[in-house]
Amino acid sequence: MLFLWIQGILRRRYLRMAGATAGVALSVALLAAISLFLVGASRSMTARAVAAVPIDWQVQLVPGADAGAVGNAIGQSVQVAAVHRVRYADVDGFEAQTGGTTQKTGPGQVVAFDNSYRSAFPAEIRPLSGNAKGVLIAQQTAANLHVGPGDVVTIERRGLAPAQVTIADVVDLPDADSLFQAVGLPSQAAPQAPPDNVLILPEEDWQRLFDPQQAIQPATTRLQLHVRLAREVLPSDPTAAYIFVTNAKRNLEARIAGLALVADNLDARLDAVREDALYASVLFLFLGFPGIALAVTLTFAVTWSGSARRRMEQALLRVRGATARQITTLYSVEAAVVAIVGTTLGAAGAMLFVGLAPSLSDTARIGGVTLLTVAAAGLLLGFAAILFPAWRDSRWTAPSTARRAVTRTGTPLWQRLGLDILLLAAAGLFFWQTAAAGYQIVLAPEGVAAISVDYKAFIAPALFWIGAAFVTLRLAAYAIAGKSKFLLAVITPIAGRLAPIVAAALSRQSRRLTIGIAMAALAISFATSTAIFNTTYNAQSRVDAELTNGSDVTVFGTSERPAGSHFAALSTLPSVAAAEPMQHRFAYVGADLQDLYGIDPIRLQRATSFSDAYFSGTAAENLQRLAATPDGALVSEETVQDFQLQEGDTINLRLMSAADHQYHPVTFKFIAVVREFPTAPKDSFIVANAAYIASMTGSDASEYVLMRAKDEPTELARQARSLLSTDPSLKVRDIGQAAHLIGSSLTAVDLGGLTLIELAFAVVMAAASAGLMLALGFAERRRNFAILSAIGAKPRQLACFLWSEGLLVLLGGIIFGLLSGLATAWMLVKLLTGVFDPPPEALSIPWMYLALVICIVTGSIVAAVLFARPSAISDVERLRDL
Amino acid sequence: MADALVAINGLGRKFSHSGSGWVEALAGVDCEIKPAARIALVGPSGSGKTTLLHIIGGLDAPTSGSIEWPALGSIKELRPRMIGCVFQTPSLFPALTAAQNVALPLILAGETVPFDDKVAGLMESFGLVDLSNKLPEELSGGQAQRVAMARALAIGPKLLLADEPTGQLDSHSAQMLFDGVFEHLEGTDTALVVATHDRNIASRMGTQWIMVHGRLFAEPDDGHV
Repeated sequence: MLFLWIQGILRRRYLRMAGATAGVALSVALLAAISLFLVGASRSMTARAVAAVPIDWQVQLVPGADAGAVGNAIGQSVQVAAVHRVRYADVDGFEAQTGGTTQKTGPGQVVAFDNSYRSAFPAEIRPLSGNAKGVLIAQQTAANLHVGPGDVVTIERRGLAPAQVTIADVVDLPDADSLFQAVGLPSQAAPQAPPDNVLILPEEDWQRLFDPQQAIQPATTRLQLHVRLAREVLPSDPTAAYIFVTNAKRNLEARIAGLALVADNLDARLDAVREDALYASVLFLFLGFPGIALAVTLTFAVTWSGSARRRMEQALLRVRGATARQITTLYSVEAAVVAIVGTTLGAAGAMLFVGLAPSLSDTARIGGVTLLTVAAAGLLLGFAAILFPAWRDSRWTAPSTARRAVTRTGTPLWQRLGLDILLLAAAGLFFWQTAAAGYQIVLAPEGVAAISVDYKAFIAPALFWIGAAFVTLRLAAYAIAGKSKFLLAVITPIAGRLAPIVAAALSRQSRRLTIGIAMAALAISFATSTAIFNTTYNAQSRVDAELTNGSDVTVFGTSERPAGSHFAALSTLPSVAAAEPMQHRFAYVGADLQDLYGIDPIRLQRATSFSDAYFSGTAAENLQRLAATPDGALVSEETVQDFQLQEGDTINLRLMSAADHQYHPVTFKFIAVVREFPTAPKDSFIVANAAYIASMTGSDASEYVLMRAKDEPTELARQARSLLSTDPSLKVRDIGQAAHLIGSSLTAVDLGGLTLIELAFAVVMAAASAGLMLALGFAERRRNFAILSAIGAKPRQLACFLWSEGLLVLLGGIIFGLLSGLATAWMLVKLLTGVFDPPPEALSIPWMYLALVICIVTGSIVAAVLFARPSAISDVERLRDL
Repeated sequence: MADALVAINGLGRKFSHSGSGWVEALAGVDCEIKPAARIALVGPSGSGKTTLLHIIGGLDAPTSGSIEWPALGSIKELRPRMIGCVFQTPSLFPALTAAQNVALPLILAGETVPFDDKVAGLMESFGLVDLSNKLPEELSGGQAQRVAMARALAIGPKLLLADEPTGQLDSHSAQMLFDGVFEHLEGTDTALVVATHDRNIASRMGTQWIMVHGRLFAEPDDGHV
């Protein structure tokens, strides 16, 4: 009997079975694909985070400690890839005589790396002119002393006679903050600025010059062991990796107590990234969960669309003596087929999708547990979607009422209670609460293993989404069930003189129609909100990358070798749309050496973008104000707070003069606060007029050149590199490289994988929600259309009924879907403010994608109508039922 | 021949049937239907009555022989204006009320003359006045068949085809239904062909056609077939 039943169902109700199976497959595929993304995103975030850490651990020995014993302890605590010695010595300063003048610096440090250090930690030293062998000098120190290769520098040792060395090369120390950090300070201590003056000696020279200093002043020299951990032992999840590294560090600290102190750069980096990882999970929930919920709802809606037919089948079975258990058993077989086939297809589809999507191809490895969970969820959904309504009908529906295809329905309870309004009001309340807390939904206190998510923030969009669906149902029912003039006006262009009778027929099927409209609206809303969020996110990622890089392509030079000297050639490159020079100097604010940017406030806007979020007030206002104030200065928020500055204050900065290479006071007027600035660090910096800086320092050199590309930035970068190939000290970086390097914000996470999944599934679900639901509804009512045909309705008259219904679903779905999608996207962007740096000024609308969604939804509805138009052959078959 | 509503010659209809090849539902049927005819089509289940009615109504096409509608026009013009159909099970459009179902053929035919009175008259003839605003699912089987019959007659067809319309009704309801039909057709040229197992109904018709295994036979005293 079971075999006969399933054979009959497959033969006669194949569309319903196919629809339910497709719903399960979609749910499983989406769940599997998003799980793959989440696993992949965590792995890539960890890999990217640890790759950006040049020195994992810096273990500083106390004077007299045995380096060998500490090295052994390190090896016992954790698997390491490299351990190397670095020696530091404090000195009173450096002196050099060049061009008939004598330059002296303040205190500095002399460091020495062991011979193989640079092969293990290549990012620590960047040669600017030669091969970086012999005595090296940091570029800022070289600028201060006005020395270059071949010049002699005198080192003012502590308690010993000065020593002289000959400079072999000038180098950049890109990781100076970490290299010269104070090891062993409490975590709450303010970060220590790296020394302004640094000289690097070969280890043998250092020992010759500073072993004597170590003997008489041991506290002025230090020995550190720089450690790179074996990265393959790190867990892929950032939080797990953080805990692993922290525990390993604690183990080492216990082993070397009294011998050495540990600075853990790796756990500090992972500490920051785990917040991003949590944000990725939050994004999964915000973006992924609605998609899965929609797929599940679609599955139930598909099975619901066959409820009239199913009730009739059950009525027949029951009047012939079938018990509720027997009926449930029959439907269990149907559910099993749907669940198993749907789950298998979904899992296979996800794997295929992942295989085809380049951004996901490296994440295809997924744990067995995850796969089993996804499969179990699919099976559960398949059984629930078929069995629950069947069980409910078998329990609660009398055979007489089961045969009713169209019944008068009163106002649903939720509508009488105003549930939709309550849900929207509650969504507003929760949203306001989250807004009042500054949209802080991820809390990862620095240095604390526990991290948390403010899950209340999820309630607002969830309630809004559900509320919007109910409002759609209410408004659509109002427009359709009431036989309103609106309904007549909508269908008259299609139905013509049949409009009144078509409207009457539609109004009595308002429940089916409003559910169809709500499903289409939900799917379009999902597609709209996901696409708008994605486009806004991508636009902000670009803003973030442009902020970091300065422009599409930036050439970074130094005071010694300014990129501006090549400005004329760079500005005529074929792919340049606009190029502008920018000064990057250093200025002392009190005792702090801060970055100083000299710009032409009006012209620089040609080469880069300025977001209003960079300033207090609009970007245009601030830049105009700077242009109108020759000695004006825009000062970073941190500097303003540190020095308690008020707008209009006069500030004295010390800038290096090109004439004597000494720092001299220059007066500026503080005119406004700047939060962010292209290429500037996040903390302290100053922006001023380039012309004023040039006149005060006697140098109009521009260290950087910012370029906007006509087309692809990578092509412009290639042309610039080719042009500057003879000058290795100049660095060319395009916006794509910058985007890859940004590690501190979530925009570094490759959201492409998630959104690719979301956008692809959104299109499929929009088409399925509109077209499939409509087609299933038509299929269930083929007998009705056969009746119309039998009493004389011509094909074009039948088409009026079909097209009118299709038009209502299309219009309702698009109007309600776009509106609620726009609102949801706005809410998502606001709630996920923490993801964006800087926050977007407006939503970016993906017009092309939305047009594509609308076209596909329209296409699916047209296909459903064409599919439902009765053919002569099928009419004859259906007439046998009349 | 010129005044016949329907003329059938050597008509046959075969259906393909999975597993058993072809099933011959009708074979060599010759007959004609004249205006005002009252024909009862009787015969065992599966004898081909429904198939013949479908072909006469233009709902199906023969696989052999010919059928013409000399006084009704081409096949495209048959429904709803020329032929009205009533089926074995209540075949009302479920989303429309009883009155709207009755008016449906008039609407589909593009009737320009106001027809509310006509519909009301039919509803009254068939005792449906109180049921005008009921949905089909709110009607009993007998009520629904009366609505279906009223609908078939609404446009004043030249030929009314009824396929076992009383098959699901008790004899009293069946008689009530046909009382209304005969009353409505009285004095008109509308021909009536009813496929039925009900001897009482059949006996009220002027002509008896008997179908056996897809072949049509007339009663001995009737020379039409």
